[in-house]
Amino acid sequence: MNTKEQNSDKPTILFDKVCKAYGPLKVLVDLDFAVGEGEVVSLIGPSGSGKTTVLRVLMTLEPIQGGTIYVQGEPLNKMLKGGQLVPADKAHIRKIRAKIGMVFQNFNLFPHMTALSNCIEAPMYTKGLSRNDATKEAMNLLDMVGLADKANHYPSQLSGGQQQRVAIARTLSMHPEILLFDEPTSALDPEMVGEVLSVIRNLAESGRYTILLVTHQMGFAREVSDQIKFFDGGKIREQNSPAELFENPKTERLQQFLSEVLEAR
Amino acid sequence: MDWRWDFTFEIVLPRMIEAAGVTAWATIASFILALIGGLILMLLKQSRLVWISRPVTEIIEFIRATPLLVQIFFLFFLLPEFGITLPPLTTGILAIAIYNSALCAEVYRAGFEAVPRGQWEACVALNISTYRTFRDVIVPQSLPPVIPALGNYLVAIFKETPLLSFVAVAEIMQISKLIGAEYYRFTEAVTIAGIFFLVMSLVAAMLIKMVENYVRKRIIH
Repeated sequence: MNTKEQNSDKPTILFDKVCKAYGPLKVLVDLDFAVGEGEVVSLIGPSGSGKTTVLRVLMTLEPIQGGTIYVQGEPLNKMLKGGQLVPADKAHIRKIRAKIGMVFQNFNLFPHMTALSNCIEAPMYTKGLSRNDATKEAMNLLDMVGLADKANHYPSQLSGGQQQRVAIARTLSMHPEILLFDEPTSALDPEMVGEVLSVIRNLAESGRYTILLVTHQMGFAREVSDQIKFFDGGKIREQNSPAELFENPKTERLQQFLSEVLEAR
Repeated sequence: MDWRWDFTFEIVLPRMIEAAGVTAWATIASFILALIGGLILMLLKQSRLVWISRPVTEIIEFIRATPLLVQIFFLFFLLPEFGITLPPLTTGILAIAIYNSALCAEVYRAGFEAVPRGQWEACVALNISTYRTFRDVIVPQSLPPVIPALGNYLVAIFKETPLLSFVAVAEIMQISKLIGAEYYRFTEAVTIAGIFFLVMSLVAAMLIKMVENYVRKRIIH
């Protein structure tokens, strides 16, 4: 595990009293936390605890009802206008969103495009790269995830593990500084989990990205994370270094959760 | 049966071929307008602004719940009251187009809803613009499954064109009635009308199959 320097005075991600509800169901309750630059943080907890929602509101897939999310010191859902904080407009959200990339549980590759096309669509039409430049870069990324030879395959012709690796390459093609992984191996057959985890491990160890990882792979979380946050009922119940958290769980809820997950294996 | 070939070839066929052109034009024009109108109605209906989506929903229901013939008469006799006088053919095309727009809107809606939510989310996560999201991701996935349904409407519109004879558009049905009335002979004219409709229907069905295959090959691999 690598310890990273936190020389920046502003955290890369900051949640300030963030509230999120679906109707009467409160998913996040006055959530506060900060993640420093280059940190790798895993979010664990029972399903419905709000950990995936943290990623979804950060990716602006869903609005929040209260509080503020800051990305590199800038508010995500609000913006400064005439000295006052007003709800963010589209341009502001797009600007902040460009710093963030997300890898989904179900890959969400575009099924009508080849692996390569999946990786050049956004660079070409959002960032305005030429087809040549976008292709060159996408091929490098596909090579990095070990799939350069599958560039012209359609998602349906790839295994789940290969699809997820293409999805990671696609996410990296937009040069995000923050990477969000939403249960990236949950939809995979067991024998394919390893190949995806090894790609994520390389990204985590490169130190180039600030990473939030929602996972049920406790061993992997322990191995790559600088910190682990345990979610339950829309709140962080316990957070600590991996070794401390797993060996010395303080809350009863975490002890119970860990014994359940470890038993299930 | 009293069937006269010379009458069929000299009188009926030339006039019916001309009429078939009118029928084809009415069908194609109405169909294209309905495809565009349906898309617009669907987008308006999906609008988040209630003062747009609600009236549009009501209008679609109204159009679907009244007979096409009534709508043709309505446009034909009421538009002039508002100072809009259009040729019968234009009025007819408009009426058929509006009626089928409402039906096509539902087909489009089904197509869009069939695209998984994850596709939209991937586009958000990649910061792809709304326009590109529709053009490159959503439409290519929602179009192929609805092409058979849209094709059915092409054939349905074609079979609705005889209704235009009620407002004296010179299409196949109208001409066959006219020939019958002029010469007191209906056998040849009405038979030829039936054969024309059959052949044109088959050709249309074949074209739809071809488009379907093309799209399936090009868009879905």
